[in-house]
Amino acid sequence: MAKTPTEVKIEPASAGRGLGRISFVWLIPLAALAIALGVAWQSYNDRGPVITIEFENGAGIKKDETALKYRDITVGVVEDVSFSEGLDTVIAEVRIDKKVAPYVDRSSTFWVVRPELSARGVSGLDTVLSGVFIEGAWDNKIGEATTEFRGLEDAPLFRPSRPGLEIALRATANGQLTENAPIFFRGIEVGRVGKARISPRTNFAIAEAIIYEPHGRLITPTTRFWDTSGFSVSIGASGAEIDFTSLATLISGGISFDTFVSGGERVADGELFVINVDEESARNSVFNASEVETLLVNAIFDDNVSGLSVGAAVELSGLKIGEVQSVSGIIDRAQFGDGRVRLIATLAIQPSRLGLETEPSPSAALNFLAGRIREGFRARLASASLLTGGLKVEFLQTDVAPPDSIFDMTVDIPQLPTTKGQITDTTGTVEGVITRINNLPIEELMTSAIDLMSSATAFVSNEDLQGAPGEVVGLLSDVRGLVGSDEVKNVPVLLNATLERIEGLVAQLEQEQLVMRLGKAVDAAANAADGVDTAIIGLPALLSSVTALADKATALPAEDMLAEITRVAASADKLLKSESTQALPADLSKALGEVEATLLALRENGGVLDNANKLLTSIDEEQLVQRLRDVVDEAAIAARGVNSAVEGVPELLASFQAVADKAEALPVDALVQELTELAATADTVIGTDAFKALPADLSKALIEVEAILKAIREGGVIENANRTLASASSAADAVALAADDLPALMNRMSAVLNQASRTIQGFDKGDQLTRDVENALRDIQRAAKALASLANTIERNPSSLIRGR
Amino acid sequence: MSVAQDIPHVTTAREMGVVGCLRCTQVWPVGTETCGRCGKALVSRDRKSLQRVWAWWIVGFLCYIPANMYPMLQTRTLFQVQQDTIVGGAIELMTHDAVGIALIILFASVVIPLGKFFAVAYLAISVKRRNSASFQQRQMLYEVVEYIGRWSMIDIFVVAIMSSLVQLNTLASINPGPASLFFALSVIFTMLSAQSFDSRMIWDVQSDAAGED
Repeated sequence: MAKTPTEVKIEPASAGRGLGRISFVWLIPLAALAIALGVAWQSYNDRGPVITIEFENGAGIKKDETALKYRDITVGVVEDVSFSEGLDTVIAEVRIDKKVAPYVDRSSTFWVVRPELSARGVSGLDTVLSGVFIEGAWDNKIGEATTEFRGLEDAPLFRPSRPGLEIALRATANGQLTENAPIFFRGIEVGRVGKARISPRTNFAIAEAIIYEPHGRLITPTTRFWDTSGFSVSIGASGAEIDFTSLATLISGGISFDTFVSGGERVADGELFVINVDEESARNSVFNASEVETLLVNAIFDDNVSGLSVGAAVELSGLKIGEVQSVSGIIDRAQFGDGRVRLIATLAIQPSRLGLETEPSPSAALNFLAGRIREGFRARLASASLLTGGLKVEFLQTDVAPPDSIFDMTVDIPQLPTTKGQITDTTGTVEGVITRINNLPIEELMTSAIDLMSSATAFVSNEDLQGAPGEVVGLLSDVRGLVGSDEVKNVPVLLNATLERIEGLVAQLEQEQLVMRLGKAVDAAANAADGVDTAIIGLPALLSSVTALADKATALPAEDMLAEITRVAASADKLLKSESTQALPADLSKALGEVEATLLALRENGGVLDNANKLLTSIDEEQLVQRLRDVVDEAAIAARGVNSAVEGVPELLASFQAVADKAEALPVDALVQELTELAATADTVIGTDAFKALPADLSKALIEVEAILKAIREGGVIENANRTLASASSAADAVALAADDLPALMNRMSAVLNQASRTIQGFDKGDQLTRDVENALRDIQRAAKALASLANTIERNPSSLIRGR
Repeated sequence: MSVAQDIPHVTTAREMGVVGCLRCTQVWPVGTETCGRCGKALVSRDRKSLQRVWAWWIVGFLCYIPANMYPMLQTRTLFQVQQDTIVGGAIELMTHDAVGIALIILFASVVIPLGKFFAVAYLAISVKRRNSASFQQRQMLYEVVEYIGRWSMIDIFVVAIMSSLVQLNTLASINPGPASLFFALSVIFTMLSAQSFDSRMIWDVQSDAAGED
């Protein structure tokens, strides 16, 4: 049996009291507990408040997963997603970080960032993988706290993460504002257009826009915006050109701006700018001198007429002071008392064009308008163009309109009182004209016209009338022949010569009071006539001799002579009918044309005439008059001689008698024979080729004349001719002067002739000689009368001498 | 008592007045302060053993709570991030008809750690009072707990291996969640707790009982 071990006193190895009995290992669970509690407390303490955000829909929002981000840093997480009462909206409960919680105040905005694919690119791509997140935006100031928010559908334009200059853009009536469109400056996107909204009066669209910093300094009061959306195609000399800013703006629109005038200060937030249609108009709007912000007023027109369009002029006393910015209809039963549609036009008035005394500004313009309206100032519609029917708005002063005090200047856009328009209704006028045309008795007119035409037809078809042209042609050729004759052509020349003499004579008469002398001469002539009177007593004997002579003449073989003359005439006729002769008139005509041209040239060089005139006048005064005086003296002497001669008329008559007797004894037969032979000779002469060639020569001569005239006209001869004609002119003037005295002279001559007539009446009227003498005297009388009339004519129209008319 | 009576009484070293060195197993008479051979302090019974057991046990259990609440794995694929707790992941695997794997995970991560907690607690309580289990069973239980404890780390190994292998950047990646740390700590503390248990105390109860008898 094993020995039982001795009982051993067992002593605790370290049986310490108190703390010694407790193991230090307990510190570890205590520490763990402390850490756990600490962590628990800290996590509880760090928990921020829960906010609720209402969204229209909860696409992509997940519980415990969707983050709330601020500046792309997660500051919270969605803890729960639920519906609001009535299932209208989705409410996301978001626990936000405690640190940012105070800043999440009433002004905070929240929106869901989703992947977005647009023309400008892809945004929010990160959310494709990670899921959507909620983005929050709030400022750095602690404001009024709230825990309930309403989420936005889209990202707001202004957010603290992208600071920028906030401006407002206003589209023109026909412009467009695309939401979220980029704003470019020299092709770089520097801003963005926000959500566009319609202005309270639905006149135009307005949108907020942001110019991101640091580009905000680019915007000054002179900055102009324009629409760059779409593209423009221009075809010019340099070819076709398609212009668009970028593909993005081509699709979704864009706005560009530029500051055309440097030196402006940066504008403050909230400045309003107008979007111009294109760059050009934007540029123009800057350079429109001192244009300031326009004053907008409304005008409601009762006239329901079409034609007032956007951009139509607004005129004050014919001066354009603005334009129509928008046109729309308005139904305001409260204001007008009926449901009729009225035309409301928004007028943009440029204050700088009103000529204000003060600084042009919209308020100053408004005050000006208000003052004028109290005086009866009204707007009305007026026709701008009759053709197109376009209208304009016209301001005018009306007397009848009572002062209108309802011009409310406090509203956003004041309303101008209007008056009835002055519209020319072109359509109505044209309609009236057409009606009048319609009412014209066209049928009756047509009947009368037809009657007239048939009568005319009958008249024209009359045979006599049809023969008339032939006769007229014959008559005309006769006249042509007459006019073409040398005699007729020579008449002016002769007349000219005669008149020159008369001129000289009359000038002398005028100068030396020769009329008296002439009177004496005429007295002498009268005496002579008396002498004639007495001498005529011896005439019967003479007459009997003459009678005998005549008898003898009667017995002469006149038939033969006449036949000869007839032949001569025939030859002449033939000659005239020859082609050369026929061609003469044409040459003549040409020559006359030349003459005419020459004369024209002469007339144009009228200045020379005066000199020549003076020269000739001096000549006249120096020599011609002296000579004339001598001539007239001599004429007087001659007249006296006549007088004395007439005294010797009885003797003369006796001599006549003797002559007659002698003539009776003369071999008249032989004379006639001679004459006949002469005629025959003439005939032969005319019949000769040489004579026949005469017209051709004449024609040649005329051509030469023509050439000479040309030379004259072209050469310096014209000046000489000028002078010559000037002298003729002065001569004519002298004639005119002389003609003053002519009537008296004529009277005297008339008296003389009357006396002579009376003297001759004394003769036996039945006597042949007496009759002849009577005829002769009558011829003289006629010649005198003709001279008198000529003188009268010349007196009336001295220049006719030169002009030949 | 009846159970104790069935088992033949074993005379302990303490009853024989000796104490064994726990390091070099040299036996010394009781009262010897240090081992004359290896120099280790000699104690017949570690009086603070149970305190240490309970202390580690508590810390381990504290760590086990977040290990189950927080996600163990964070699986990030192209389109989503999936975070799974231990139990949640096992349930998900079961829904994907991977019941076997799910059971293994549940066994290794839930059953074994919890079993250890219960076993250690049972042993610690049993040394103070009588119970129905025999000394040998309890010794066996202690040995099993100590042996199996290290295998609980298999979860951590899986997480560590997957995290290091599946790192395809943006396409997919697996990262350990916060629970893995707590789980590892829990395993460590449980093992420490088990080691702190002085198994000789199991037999003291028997000897006390025998002494009473």
